[in-house]
Amino acid sequence: MSTQFVQALWGGILFGAVYGLMALGLTLVWGAVRLLNLAHGAIFVVGAYAAYFIVSRLNLPILVALPFGVLAAAAFAYVMHVVFIRPVIGKPGFDNSTLIATVGISIAVSAAAILIFDPTYKVIPPLINGNFTVSDVQITKQGLLVVGTSLALFGLVYLFLTYTRLGMAIRAVSQQQEAASLMSIPVERTYGIVIAISGALAGLAGVMLSPFFFLNPNSGFNPMIQALIVTIFGGLGSVRGALVAGFVLGIFESFVEVYYGVAWAQPGVFFLIILMLILRPNGLFGIGEVRRL
Amino acid sequence: MSAQAVMATTVTRPQLDAGAAPWRRVPLVTVGIVLLVGIALPWVLVRLDIGTYLMTLLILFFVQAVVAQSWNLIMGYGGIYSFAQVALFAVGGWTSGVLVHSLGWNPFFAILFAPLVAVVAALGIGLPTLRLRGVYVVLLTIAFHELARVFAVTGPRFISGGGYGLVTVQTFQFGNAVGDQRTIYLYYLAGLIFAVATFTIWRVIHSPLGVAMIALRDSETYAVSRGINQFRVRIVVFAISAFFTGLAGGYSTHYNGGISTTIFDFPRIIDLLAMIVIGGWGTFGGPILGAGLVIGLDQYLVALGDYQTLLLGLALAGIAVFAPQGVWPFIRGLYDRYLAPEPPPPPIEVNPAAAHETTEEL
Repeated sequence: MSTQFVQALWGGILFGAVYGLMALGLTLVWGAVRLLNLAHGAIFVVGAYAAYFIVSRLNLPILVALPFGVLAAAAFAYVMHVVFIRPVIGKPGFDNSTLIATVGISIAVSAAAILIFDPTYKVIPPLINGNFTVSDVQITKQGLLVVGTSLALFGLVYLFLTYTRLGMAIRAVSQQQEAASLMSIPVERTYGIVIAISGALAGLAGVMLSPFFFLNPNSGFNPMIQALIVTIFGGLGSVRGALVAGFVLGIFESFVEVYYGVAWAQPGVFFLIILMLILRPNGLFGIGEVRRL
Repeated sequence: MSAQAVMATTVTRPQLDAGAAPWRRVPLVTVGIVLLVGIALPWVLVRLDIGTYLMTLLILFFVQAVVAQSWNLIMGYGGIYSFAQVALFAVGGWTSGVLVHSLGWNPFFAILFAPLVAVVAALGIGLPTLRLRGVYVVLLTIAFHELARVFAVTGPRFISGGGYGLVTVQTFQFGNAVGDQRTIYLYYLAGLIFAVATFTIWRVIHSPLGVAMIALRDSETYAVSRGINQFRVRIVVFAISAFFTGLAGGYSTHYNGGISTTIFDFPRIIDLLAMIVIGGWGTFGGPILGAGLVIGLDQYLVALGDYQTLLLGLALAGIAVFAPQGVWPFIRGLYDRYLAPEPPPPPIEVNPAAAHETTEEL
């Protein structure tokens, strides 16, 4: 195998795992709450800065900072739910209000990050150091860890949704909100839990990715857009779709980048998604939901 | 009594509903006064020390208000979550800029092509996008925005100007007018664009097309079942919106003497969104009011730096959730109470929050 090919393949797998991790949170929230969370990138940034704070200001190891970052992101997402999402749940105009509210939150977070820290790029140390080489391509252990974590989380979320009581409640709410509430499932609390889980996933992505992409107040924006593409490509609300589409798009982007140049990566992905929407408007695993926001 | 006479007495023409005749509620006197003040204002302002500054603010207001109104037309009234508005503005700006810069056309002639190319671009986005809804439109229009940005930065040199955009584009020249005199002419030109755009958008909103658009937003299933061609209505409205956005873009290029690639930065979108949300989402006067408020407050709050962005973000989120109609209903109430010729009829601005939701369930 040529170096280029291995480089493209490894890059693609890494991108795919990353996009999948971000898309998992988006798709969960979409599936259960019907909320297009444009603040997902902001939650990513919250998690990453929380970990950065622990590491750089308190001089604690990254292994302590990781759970703290994840918790901070989950807490932030939950507070966002309580303050801005819960008041409009079930009201007409939910789409408008939440769309604008999440955009507003995301710019408020990046402004707050500039105020508290500063706009320069930050580095979070990787969880594990070291790398090895496969046909002249350096593969970092952190990268392997990201891929493994992403796959493990997909498995966990799948098992959680399928077998636990809470997971079943979430699925019930996402299928038929009224019927679920008649079966005495606390709908609003379930929404809160889903949003907090999604926040935790975004926070985890933030802490684990910042060693690769560096951290700045706007660094959540691109992963969020990619995750949005992945979510739509895989089918909105589909966990399996997010996994498959994450890797398909990640590998596609990486090959375009290696063989045609970085400038074509983003346009290439956009063309792919437009093609997809024409051929299969519901995405890979979507179920007849194109008409719903 | 003949049968015919019975018919004649029982068939009464229905009273024209106030909501169907909104022009009755805006008296010519009000419009005339606003126009006169608008025309006379620069001659008063030039006598003030800060007059020129105020006039440039007003020009900025006119341009931004046109874009905000166009955006509100498709987003607030049409329910199409398009984020391509800034990109369409840039398309207009670049068209006019390139025609003047590379081909040496007269700015007054070149600006006529800005809205046309913007409409073509809008049709290009609209054809694949407008059959879809909500989240798909958000994604694809953001994609268009990003693609436009990449093209503007890395495209051919006569477009990208080496990555900075177009600089030293010829500005509007009015004979030999310079200084304040020229600013007054620029003010009139911007005011004219603003007036035409505002009037057209007002007519569109109250035309059958506008009613169809609002019906589609409020209850898509019902509107379609009443024979409204959803795709056609949406694409026409999208094109109208793009027309004025492109025109504003062309004006802005020749006003500033260039157009920079920083136009694509995220804060620009946020500013426009803030105008619509603060003023009043899905109301006629909301974006105009919002443009005035945002531009006016900007002059005072600019010293706050990043705190301003923080406040803006929180204000957006708060207003969107707790007061979805923004400041406009308040102003509207004052107008109806003190200035309207008739007692206020039931509100014709359909509150998006009162929209009849399509329920697929059950």
